[in-house]
Amino acid sequence: MAASCRWSRCTRRRVISLVAGVAAVGVLAVPALAHGGSLGSAGRESVAVPTWLVLLTGGAAVGASFLLASLVTDRSLIAAVESWSRGLIDSGAVLRWGARVVSLLGLVVLAVVLFVASMGPQQPLANLGLLTVWVGWWAGYTMSTYLVGNTWPALNPWRTLSRVLPSLSYSYPERLGVWPATVALLALVWVEVVSPVADQPDFLAGVIIVYTAVTLLGTLVFGTQQWFDSADPVARVFDHYGRVAPFGRDRDTISLQTPGSALADIAPATRSEVAFVIALLWVTTFDGFVSTPAWRSIVDVVPVPLSALYPLALVAGFGLFLAAFYGAARASKRITGTCVTTASLVREFAPSLLAIAAGYHLAHYLGYFISLLPALATVATAPLAPPAEVTLLVAPDWFETVGMLAILVGHFLAIWVAHATAFDIFPGRLQAIRSQYPFIAVMVFYTMTSLWILAQPEVAAP
Amino acid sequence: MRTERLSYDDGSDTAVCEYCGRPFPDDDLLALHRGTRHFEQLPDDQQAAYEAAYADEQESVRLFRLKALGGLILVYFGFLMVYAVV
Ligand SMILES: [Zn+2]
Repeated sequence: MAASCRWSRCTRRRVISLVAGVAAVGVLAVPALAHGGSLGSAGRESVAVPTWLVLLTGGAAVGASFLLASLVTDRSLIAAVESWSRGLIDSGAVLRWGARVVSLLGLVVLAVVLFVASMGPQQPLANLGLLTVWVGWWAGYTMSTYLVGNTWPALNPWRTLSRVLPSLSYSYPERLGVWPATVALLALVWVEVVSPVADQPDFLAGVIIVYTAVTLLGTLVFGTQQWFDSADPVARVFDHYGRVAPFGRDRDTISLQTPGSALADIAPATRSEVAFVIALLWVTTFDGFVSTPAWRSIVDVVPVPLSALYPLALVAGFGLFLAAFYGAARASKRITGTCVTTASLVREFAPSLLAIAAGYHLAHYLGYFISLLPALATVATAPLAPPAEVTLLVAPDWFETVGMLAILVGHFLAIWVAHATAFDIFPGRLQAIRSQYPFIAVMVFYTMTSLWILAQPEVAAP
Repeated sequence: MRTERLSYDDGSDTAVCEYCGRPFPDDDLLALHRGTRHFEQLPDDQQAAYEAAYADEQESVRLFRLKALGGLILVYFGFLMVYAVV
């Protein structure tokens, strides 16, 4: 059971309190603990704040952050904050050697995961392969990409493997953009939701083997760089999260930079790039949505077989999120009267959403990561014969505050990035502020959707 | 940075910047653009036009700030009351 609540599900109630607390920390400065403190215990009755108020508070926190940011209208100050950076390591040799060590580590971990997941004990909490993938990698490592920086190009074992394999170097069809990665991301989440990949180690091993085959075939045909830049969803996710981070790499230099400033050059930001960003934001939502009673009643009412309903809902919700964002860009164009095309506005403003996605990821996974980390460590000492009893850590109360801050900081960052974007694009200061109204409205919509899902009682996905 | 890669509507020629060719919906915004992007190159009359447009805008920016602060205070006390009641 514990491993099946790997995703947002088991931390959901915790997050409700977090968000209720956002009001306290961010907007109200009322002690959060009054509401947040009661949440560790079981049962959703312990949630003191009613759902409508949680939604309202989350929405208002976003709006209030926008009002705060809009007080800063000094163009040169905004540009200076955005472009600030300080070089830390400036040595090609050090970086190359570091990358070699890290990529070796990646290969070893992949081999161990594959071996233990297929040959080791099949109880989820006793299997090092399963714990490594979900706790170590998808929760922990992902956090490092937006909190520290993106190291995946070095660690990625498939990239390492593909480099020693030959390449046919067929030219990648440019018009596809990153659509293959977008479709693959949706497909991976679909597999995650409907299959036992989260609880069954040997099934996980099978999925990894299929992924390996597809990835190596892709790099063989199109070349390593092309494949990981356009078609591989995992590399895209980490690249995007890495742009939120405070450390960045440019050739032989690693620098400290303003978090989120690298979002400005997701380049060349194409239409498909926008779709990928929105897909990343949507999949976190979808994952929670399928275990709400609302989804259950949809399943009961709609006369479509379950196997078709999941992908249908996945694509429909993605379309809705995408349409909302395009609608916002059109409204922004109308409000500002600008001659810049809607397509350009969409491309420039979409990357700011990644900061929100990162904030939610942290709020969702931090407690989960900490509580299962001892299990991972224990099992790692004896992968094939783990102790029967595995300790689970109960996250201390102050962790709720950390999650709270994560959501808040993610929003602040997203709003600041959108603010800097607007001031870069529009010559008028008031025009730049007004241009953000529709985007802020969409952010409020995304936030309230996520919060509504988090506030739903949790039922097993049909 | 971003301005380098923006695309513009076809046939928008109401107010076009003579230094970089970008179109703007009206002369005020064009004047503001010239001042922020090409200030050093501008002849005196265009610098003056920029400063005038900037000063004009300052008034509405100040008004907006007041409204924003008012909004923040409203949200703050609104939620303070709601949380006290709930
Ligand atoms: Zn110009």
